[in-house]
Amino acid sequence: MSETATGRGWAEQDVRRELHSELLEINMGPQHPATHGVLRLLVRTDGEIVHGVTAHIGYLHRCAEKIAEGCDWRQWMVYTDRFDYLAPINMNFGYAVAVERMLGVQVPERAEHIRVICAELQRIASHLIAIGTFGLDMGAWTPLLYCFREREEILNILERLTGGRMLYNYFDIGGLRFDAYEGFERDVLDFVNIMEQKIPEYDTLLSYNKIFIERTADVGVIDVATCRAYGCTGPVLRGAGVPFDCRKDDPYSIYDRFEFDIPYGEGEQGTVGDCWDRYMVRMREMYESCRIIRQAVDALPGGPVKAEDLKKLVKVPQGSLYTRTESSKGEIGYHIFADGGSKPFRTKVRSPSFSNLHVIEKVGPGMMLSDLVATVGSLDIVLGEIDR
Amino acid sequence: MQVMTELFARIFGDGLSPVGLLVAGGLTMALVMSLVMALCAIVFTWAERKVAGFIQSRYGPMRVGRWHGVLQPVADMVKILGKEDIIPRDADKRLFQLAPFVIFVGSLMAWAAIPFAPGFIAADLDLGLFYIFAVSSAASIGILMAGWASNNKWSLYGAVRGVAQGVSYEIPLALACIPVVMITGSLNMNDIVIAQQGGIWRWHFLHDPFLFVSFLLYFVASIAEVNRGPFDLPETESELVAGYHTEYTGMRFAFFFLAEYANLFLVSCIATAVFLGGWQPVFGPVFLPGLVFVTKAVLLVLLQMWLRWTLPRLRVDQLMHVCWKVMVPLALVCVLGAGIWMLATGQAG
Amino acid sequence: MEATAIHALLQSRFGDAVLDYVDSYEKGSLVAAGRVGEIATFLRDDATLGFESLMSLTGLDWDGYDATGKGKSVDILGYDELGRPETSDRVGDGDLGVAYALYSPRHGHKHTLFVRVPRAAPEVASVAAVWPTAEWHEREAWDLVGIRFAGHPDLRRILLDDAWEGHPLRKDYAMPGAWQGVPLDGRDYAAGKWTEADVTLPDDVKRPEDAKLPDTGNQG
Repeated sequence: MSETATGRGWAEQDVRRELHSELLEINMGPQHPATHGVLRLLVRTDGEIVHGVTAHIGYLHRCAEKIAEGCDWRQWMVYTDRFDYLAPINMNFGYAVAVERMLGVQVPERAEHIRVICAELQRIASHLIAIGTFGLDMGAWTPLLYCFREREEILNILERLTGGRMLYNYFDIGGLRFDAYEGFERDVLDFVNIMEQKIPEYDTLLSYNKIFIERTADVGVIDVATCRAYGCTGPVLRGAGVPFDCRKDDPYSIYDRFEFDIPYGEGEQGTVGDCWDRYMVRMREMYESCRIIRQAVDALPGGPVKAEDLKKLVKVPQGSLYTRTESSKGEIGYHIFADGGSKPFRTKVRSPSFSNLHVIEKVGPGMMLSDLVATVGSLDIVLGEIDR
Repeated sequence: MQVMTELFARIFGDGLSPVGLLVAGGLTMALVMSLVMALCAIVFTWAERKVAGFIQSRYGPMRVGRWHGVLQPVADMVKILGKEDIIPRDADKRLFQLAPFVIFVGSLMAWAAIPFAPGFIAADLDLGLFYIFAVSSAASIGILMAGWASNNKWSLYGAVRGVAQGVSYEIPLALACIPVVMITGSLNMNDIVIAQQGGIWRWHFLHDPFLFVSFLLYFVASIAEVNRGPFDLPETESELVAGYHTEYTGMRFAFFFLAEYANLFLVSCIATAVFLGGWQPVFGPVFLPGLVFVTKAVLLVLLQMWLRWTLPRLRVDQLMHVCWKVMVPLALVCVLGAGIWMLATGQAG
Repeated sequence: MEATAIHALLQSRFGDAVLDYVDSYEKGSLVAAGRVGEIATFLRDDATLGFESLMSLTGLDWDGYDATGKGKSVDILGYDELGRPETSDRVGDGDLGVAYALYSPRHGHKHTLFVRVPRAAPEVASVAAVWPTAEWHEREAWDLVGIRFAGHPDLRRILLDDAWEGHPLRKDYAMPGAWQGVPLDGRDYAAGKWTEADVTLPDDVKRPEDAKLPDTGNQG
């Protein structure tokens, strides 16, 4: 943090007052290539040094939580797709688990396995975009295209499986909407075999590039205390050196049956919790996802994919529950209040990017403008789930 | 210009006075240079997209012109000519309109002293190298004009970065050429090329270790000088939207583009002439000198494109760090080293 | 620690401020709105509790909540077949509330705090100083449910426009017919089916020609 520290010190000197200069207020967004969607950051700068960041969100707000009050429990699944449009299956997963827990439904084994496979494929797809666009923020165009090459394969599998390429709406309360197609396991294994060979390619292309390390190591350091205070989860928290993952620490579905490690930041290239650590956590998580997929495919049983004792119009008994699952961005939580009816009384979506973005207001001041872009990129936000 | 004046003299015989010959030759040469510049932009935009495509495991343009999209630049040009010329309401109109031409002219003027082939040089100046560095810094003025006149904060950022970078990197750029000037004892571009006669081992970049380092320094500084990746900070796509030319549209934008690719080729031409033997072939007698020269320069351009599509971008303070704390001292060491080498090997007069 | 033990600890410490034990799918305590701040500080700082993580903060409107568990909650107001916003004479009753989902990374236990405030004066003590993440969550609760948080550093709307009317997640919220002169009814007004007379604008929402947009920053 030496540059940023000196930057702040410089700015606080009286020089500015003597020169009668003012801070420059500048809007990064809502139309800006580095904001990953329609986010507006109001940045106060002194030359290249950022003095204050205010995030203005809500450009994609549709009040999905209000819509939930008019849908029945199953219908609202469609809207969960729209939160994180880069990892809709992870959003589906959270909502399905939340409602199933309240209902006390046992999801069939086959459905659970396919769910895990889909969720992990989706996690890889989402991380590929995160890595690619992060490289793009650093000015490295090429890795993005390579990432999209592999993501394309995932989308092809999911398209064959669900019929959609972006929004799948495949999960249902109590299972899946329909069974996997013939040859699904083979496709998935083929992909995993390729994927595991491709990850070293990204490493040579981007991860250990000298300029890339210079740009990301020691930049945008978010430590554990800040993560806890600001509710940062997912790769941001793990990048800060905490091996916390809802899949292991608050298990849901059948994740407790699989063997996998939780990568976390160790400050290999700089400080623990810098942009490089967050980036590397994602890179290593793709390996772990591949491991989980292998195990899930090996263990994939036959049988039904829907809980049979469930009515079409689900009624959830009265009460409330906060359920969290691990999406690619972090902890996606659904705080659901049911009054016993066929519609959710109130569903609050605690989206990971919402909290992860908030921290930029804390860590932003003192950085250089380019570092701000790098940090926002490394948080991997999706505005769809922030604005809901 | 020699070639042209001789040509005119042969055609018109004694019908043209020496002054007339000079004017006619000069005008023709200017026209040729402008055409070369336009051609550069056309060829290199296409090449850039193809190179990027190749590096990124995709095709690039494939449709227009049947074979690998060769007519894509033409289609682009037609499109860009048809664009509305928008000047922002709050922009400083005159500066805004003038800026692209300042950049363009600065680049065009430098072309005058590039020796493409024996005698094929628009202005055979004794101070050729010095002249090139002098006029090509006019681009910085154009960048600042564009950024300031746009009345857009992002443009201003791009402009300030661009000028800071341009002014800083001119120093290692010029310093890197000084050892060559010391060896040849001349700033005349023709003399510099002629001094490298006799095969690849006589080319300046292999003259001694210090010159090899100088060549590398020149190459790096030249990328920064033309604002291309990994030094493309003035137009950082992801930070400054498009930098100083954010607000430009249509033909004015095309002029920026034209100047960028012309500059790209220009710095490669200088490198070719100063370090890589100019029109001298790798071995053997001089053969198709113009083609040899252009081939070397184009290879350098391709190398720059390769770098651009492979490397991430530096941060602005790192950029300045590289310039002032690494490249300038190293260039000075090279100047000193080359001098000592000359003394030691008895080349010094 | 078990939820009952946490509740007992809170009760012994704060007495009257801890109103009730909530035994739902999740376990928690119902506490007094005015004292959430100090309770939160205790929950975070006490070594045996260590609730360093506020997972979620939910603002809710209990209006129409069916206590019998039959699930006959009030219908939300939308648009009629003609695309006009539905209106109703019903004025919402019932309390507003806030739920805080807490997690202790150190001990791995969870607890949920509930707060109920009267609809007429929905004010809850802010916990933004305890868990900074609450800053945005509280702004969201203010924006969508209309709960004021006393002591919040910067309580303004977060998802909706600064000039928006009403709080959409209230059960008696009626959809606006137009927003700053733009009809929101989803009908094809380009085809001439919509006229300005169809839309009743709130008094202080102006037509586009004289609408002054809130000043929210400079031009990029």
